[in-house]
Amino acid sequence: MSHKKAQKLLRYLLLIPPLLFALAPVYWMLTISLKSEVDQFATPPPWFGFTPTLNHFYDAFVTRSFGDYLLNSAIVAVASTACALVIGTLAAYALARFQLPWRLNRHLSLWILSTRMFPAIVTVVPLFLMMRDLRLLNTRASLIIVYTAFNLPFVVWMMRGFFVELPRDLEEAALVDGDSRLGALFRVVLPLVAPGLAATAVFCLIVSWNEFLFALVLTQTDAAMTLPVGIAGRVTQFEIKWGVMSAAATVAIVPILVFALALQKYLVRGLSMGAVKG
Amino acid sequence: MAIEFRNVSKDFGGTRVVDDLSLEIDDGEFVVLLGPSGCGKTTTLRMLAGLETVSSGDILIGGERVNDVPTQHRDLAMVFQSYALYPHMTIAENIGYPLRVRKLDKAERIVRVNRVAAMLEIESLLDRKPRQLSGGERQRVALARAIVREPRAYLMDEPLSNLDARLRMQMRGELKRLQHQLGTTTIYVTHDQAEAMTLASRVAVMKKGRLQQFDTPMNIYNQPANRFVAEFVGSPSMNFIEESHVTIGIRPEHIHVLTEPQDGAIPATVYVTELMGNETFVFLSVGEDRLIARAPADFRAEVESRVWITMDRDKLHFFNADDADEIRI
Repeated sequence: MSHKKAQKLLRYLLLIPPLLFALAPVYWMLTISLKSEVDQFATPPPWFGFTPTLNHFYDAFVTRSFGDYLLNSAIVAVASTACALVIGTLAAYALARFQLPWRLNRHLSLWILSTRMFPAIVTVVPLFLMMRDLRLLNTRASLIIVYTAFNLPFVVWMMRGFFVELPRDLEEAALVDGDSRLGALFRVVLPLVAPGLAATAVFCLIVSWNEFLFALVLTQTDAAMTLPVGIAGRVTQFEIKWGVMSAAATVAIVPILVFALALQKYLVRGLSMGAVKG
Repeated sequence: MAIEFRNVSKDFGGTRVVDDLSLEIDDGEFVVLLGPSGCGKTTTLRMLAGLETVSSGDILIGGERVNDVPTQHRDLAMVFQSYALYPHMTIAENIGYPLRVRKLDKAERIVRVNRVAAMLEIESLLDRKPRQLSGGERQRVALARAIVREPRAYLMDEPLSNLDARLRMQMRGELKRLQHQLGTTTIYVTHDQAEAMTLASRVAVMKKGRLQQFDTPMNIYNQPANRFVAEFVGSPSMNFIEESHVTIGIRPEHIHVLTEPQDGAIPATVYVTELMGNETFVFLSVGEDRLIARAPADFRAEVESRVWITMDRDKLHFFNADDADEIRI
């Protein structure tokens, strides 16, 4: 075996343990969603040699309301991500480019970041009371508002970094060329930070899609319940519906996976943006 | 369009970077702001463009006070040192950008982009992206983007400083022709005195935020207002001989080096000679002083050899040792 080949082999060997570690739960979920109850509890478990069944999927999405939860999750995640990106990007641009008095650029940035420093559980009760008074309990709107607020600091800090990295000359050239600030932002600045914007969007989507605590407290009916809460709700006093839960969880993974794969190119560039001057 | 700075100052934090600048620039003039880095020339240009606010004083374009007019409404075109081409757009889109934001229709845009591209000989690059271009090509694109419309003035911030020496000289000539052709007021910032001398109809020499002299290149060279201007303009630099209350200045071409003694000639020692091809720079020691003289290309002298020099007495400059201002006789 040549030296190069050996090196390559070693590289793959080194990749196996972390992959096993990361993918084992996914394998477990996937197989349970496809196994009949008998196979689920067999010892030793049938690793691959079992008769797959789609009954749990049918049970989850046709008999039960997991279809609604999926839709709720999708609407809440997309809407809150969109809101956070619009508001956060504009705020980040202002913080990165405008000289505010009293060193507000720095103070505001840190203050925005500090809202992410306390544990989420701290805000759950006040948020519940506020949403109750606004009559927004059990609505998607409540989750969209909360997730937008939750994602904003992240968006502001990510995007601010990308804006700061961008040479000022480009916007100044756009202004001298006769464009407005906002025009320059949309025609020159945003296209150049698109990879960063995409990476930020993916993170926001994942956070909103996976969020459990607020969704659990703020939604109790099918009208607004999201997938994570719906799945956890199948752990009842009398039984645990492993099959249904795994089937729903498997479906829950798919949109994020597809989205991340589609944006993979941007994701890598976005995350390493500013790391290397190019 | 005529441009005027009236007692303009700019403070950054506690530092005054432009101090009480007054300049009147006539319509169609090519004015060069010249000075070492940190002299406030770029800040002056940026204030004119509206990219920096004015701390005090007024800026007028065509008689209209523009202090509070935002950049995009000042109708100026600027060439940046970095060229500032939009990396995500093709060259045609880059050049057409000022027209696009003015909502010109597409057909008209294409006609005008093609016209300037032809003028600057960059038609073949129109479909490329800026990163695929060489420095010289990018420079042309930046120029094209500036002249694609008819702005009230062109502002140029060291536009040639990123080019190699040969290209810089070529572009210098082209810039001059272009400005002559277009007849638009141009304000050009540089630290390169050769660029200033060759391009400008008038040169504004600045130092530490203050205007030192504003005059034609010939007058700047022949009648420098003070020692700083005398030293900054001309290459090699003017020689200075310190006396008790006065500094005497003389340019290298006004010192003549002789290999034989002559009446009234001063003895000197050759420190080193540098053959430039068309002429020779002779570095001399005269007592404590070091002088540079220009001699013909065929001048030869050994290091440490004895020579004699004469000076054109009518070309001597005298500067007050206290404030460095020139003393006119």
